[in-house]
Amino acid sequence: MRPLTRLLRRAPTLEPALARRLDAWRQLPANDLNARFADTRYVVVDVESTGLDLNRDHLIALGAVAVEGAHIVLADSFEAVLRQEQASDKDNILVHGIGGEAQRDGDPPAQALQGFLDYLGKSPLVAFHVTFDETLIRRALLRHLGLDFRHPWVDLAYVLPGLLPEHARRHRSLDQWSGHFAITNFARHSALADALATAQLLQCVLKLASTRNAHSYRQLQALEQARRWVSWAN
Amino acid sequence: MPAANTLIAATVEHLSRFAPFDAMDRGHLVWLAQRLRLAYFARDEVLLAPHDGEVRRLYIVKQGEVYGEQDGEDAWVMLHEGECFPIGALLGRRPVISVFRAQGDVFAHVLDATDFHQLVRDSEPFRDFCTRRLASLLEQSQRQLHATYATNTAQQQSLRSPLAGIPRRAPVTCGPDTPLREALETIQESAVGSIVVVDAGQVPLGIFTVRDLIGRVILPATDLDTPMRRLMTPNPVTLPARAHAFEAAMHMARDGFRHVLVEEEGRLSGVISEKDLFSLQRVGVTQLSSTIRAATGLDVLVRCAADIHELGHNMMAQGVAAEQLTQILSTLNDLLTQRVIELESARAGQPAFCWLAFGSEGRREQTLSTDQDNGMLFQTDPGETADQARARLLPMAERINRALDACGFPLCQGGIMAMNPRWCLSLEEWQAAFARWIDSGDPRALHDAGIFFDLRALHDPAQLATALRQWLLARIAATPRFLRRMAANALSNRPPLGLVRDFVVDGEGEEANTLDLKLNGLIPFVDAARVFALAAGVAASGTADRLRGTRARLGIPEAEVEAWISAFFFIQMLRLRGQQGKRASGLALRNRIDPDQLNDLDRRILKESFRQARKVQNRLALGYPA
Repeated sequence: MRPLTRLLRRAPTLEPALARRLDAWRQLPANDLNARFADTRYVVVDVESTGLDLNRDHLIALGAVAVEGAHIVLADSFEAVLRQEQASDKDNILVHGIGGEAQRDGDPPAQALQGFLDYLGKSPLVAFHVTFDETLIRRALLRHLGLDFRHPWVDLAYVLPGLLPEHARRHRSLDQWSGHFAITNFARHSALADALATAQLLQCVLKLASTRNAHSYRQLQALEQARRWVSWAN
Repeated sequence: MPAANTLIAATVEHLSRFAPFDAMDRGHLVWLAQRLRLAYFARDEVLLAPHDGEVRRLYIVKQGEVYGEQDGEDAWVMLHEGECFPIGALLGRRPVISVFRAQGDVFAHVLDATDFHQLVRDSEPFRDFCTRRLASLLEQSQRQLHATYATNTAQQQSLRSPLAGIPRRAPVTCGPDTPLREALETIQESAVGSIVVVDAGQVPLGIFTVRDLIGRVILPATDLDTPMRRLMTPNPVTLPARAHAFEAAMHMARDGFRHVLVEEEGRLSGVISEKDLFSLQRVGVTQLSSTIRAATGLDVLVRCAADIHELGHNMMAQGVAAEQLTQILSTLNDLLTQRVIELESARAGQPAFCWLAFGSEGRREQTLSTDQDNGMLFQTDPGETADQARARLLPMAERINRALDACGFPLCQGGIMAMNPRWCLSLEEWQAAFARWIDSGDPRALHDAGIFFDLRALHDPAQLATALRQWLLARIAATPRFLRRMAANALSNRPPLGLVRDFVVDGEGEEANTLDLKLNGLIPFVDAARVFALAAGVAASGTADRLRGTRARLGIPEAEVEAWISAFFFIQMLRLRGQQGKRASGLALRNRIDPDQLNDLDRRILKESFRQARKVQNRLALGYPA
């Protein structure tokens, strides 16, 4: 099956309670992307998957941390493991540490994903290497909830080198940028811990951006775009 | 929201690596973590400043370092991972005094003031920490030290090991109806100190020890046919084999029993005696002091000196505070020195003389590696010159110095000893020497005064020292310039500042990255206390006594002086501990310490102690402005 046909597959039938929650989520007003950092809630997300092949692999776990007014609110965080029909292979388990048992014990995917939407609301999203997280989340939402998830994203993997071009050559990965700001990670390759590290990077970004006269999500997106042009031009 | 738990749990786990969180209930920690927000501060960003007004948040450093500096004042603090601030301002509901600035990238947890006050109400360890910071850290360090030494001391077994793992003898038993005669024969044959009375199923009913003999058998003239059930101590303390050795130790200490029974599946499996647990307890203070008093030869005193060292180690193991520890050690060392003097001076009829101790011995602040610092003060007989009296006394002085050396008090490298004719002087000669130093006030004189003015008489049948001390205090009072110079000299030695990492360390080669605890930590307290005491005419020679004795006159709150003294003794204890460790590993005793080798808690207390040292100096500078 080609990726496109898979995406266009018939929408799943949802149980009524879930359908109502999804509907309520759709009704939420969109967020003002021009609001200043201090007045906005961003959600930083990280995912774990069965592998690194975007065409073939799918979502196993999802971790999210909210940054509100530039503060990380520890209690305002989200974590879910999606129940897998078939556990991922052993090498993959060694990466994210979610064992076969835990994968089969996870939440039903539709429930877990709706839980994520309820938690997210319409807060704009932030991730490190967005393409990966966005693709997996979009595909899972379409497959399990029939939702065409079009949400604002900002990619720190582009914003950071845009703000600190002098370090762009040496720092590329999440680990390298975390190291630059001496951010420790309590459990690398756990979606929630990586989301926390990414959220801490976002805090650094917000502070740096303010000194460059960027004060809104929209302006972060502009920084990201500009950096994308630079990287393509190079 | 169960989904949030991993993050909360990780935060709880991280916090519990630091005081006071390590002592708090998990429930309170979870409550706390759920209310924390994480904030980021870039290098040089100000977190908190006096002009922000009443403090609204508690900060807990998660990563990075925060530097707090008081405007215009010479006070500073460096805060690291796991440390909280500003506790004082939050409790007092006031603005901060210092400016708190990020030293690099800093991530700090933030807690609202209302939640902080709630936690102070709810959590006792947290409240204790906030209200008695230094004291509470010290207690905790003492407990940790106790735990470390408990394992070192009982070499054979740690007090943390289960009773099952302690080698113990098979119990000697008898039945409840066994006649006394038979039980005593069994005790005699098996050469044990106790017999356990058990029933047919080996369930312990009681215990009888040889110590019970006098009170229960000999004095009442008990019939030897009496059944043991009537003589035993019923319901003996019994612990399961999986219980820890320290539980047995606690029972013994609390209830005064010398034996604890061990049982497995309800049946007696062994007896643990006090001796099994405290094999090193043989050295006691009272026993040691009477041995010293009764000693008739140097050989006995040399052995006693070794026992004093061992006792020092044992007392540290028992968590005896440094102040009491140094007091006991110097009392015993005094006794030992006095006995040496008595033995040596008894040999020949000598003119009345006084044996003076100077420096740390004079202050009763000796450690385990203190050199001799002593001198002699004598009275000339009628018609005799000072030189003639000296000539008669010097041979005895040398014998005493050498005997003390044999007892483990090394000869003074700088020659400050009674056997040196320079320091074996008549009252007039001492006065002349002291007067020279007081009048000149040059660095050399100030250095000598620092050692000699902490004088204390160890042997003084004719009360000669009192006259010298009174003369000294009067002379100093008449020469205000001298104390000003002494204060300036004291202030030139500043405790280390937190510039790089925690401490400025110095030293080269083997001493690289180490800190001189004596010079940087103790001397600031000692020097300041000396100036305070000499200025106030207080005769005490010990640093703590001097600080307490001058407190009222200087108008310093008691709590503040006690904080200085706690800090002083904490540094002294680290020094003792270091020397103890070096003795065990066979290295020469030194005063240096590598701050990186301290645990987090002790490093924090040491930092706090240096801060107190600077406060003492600030108080000194107040009285003697430059």
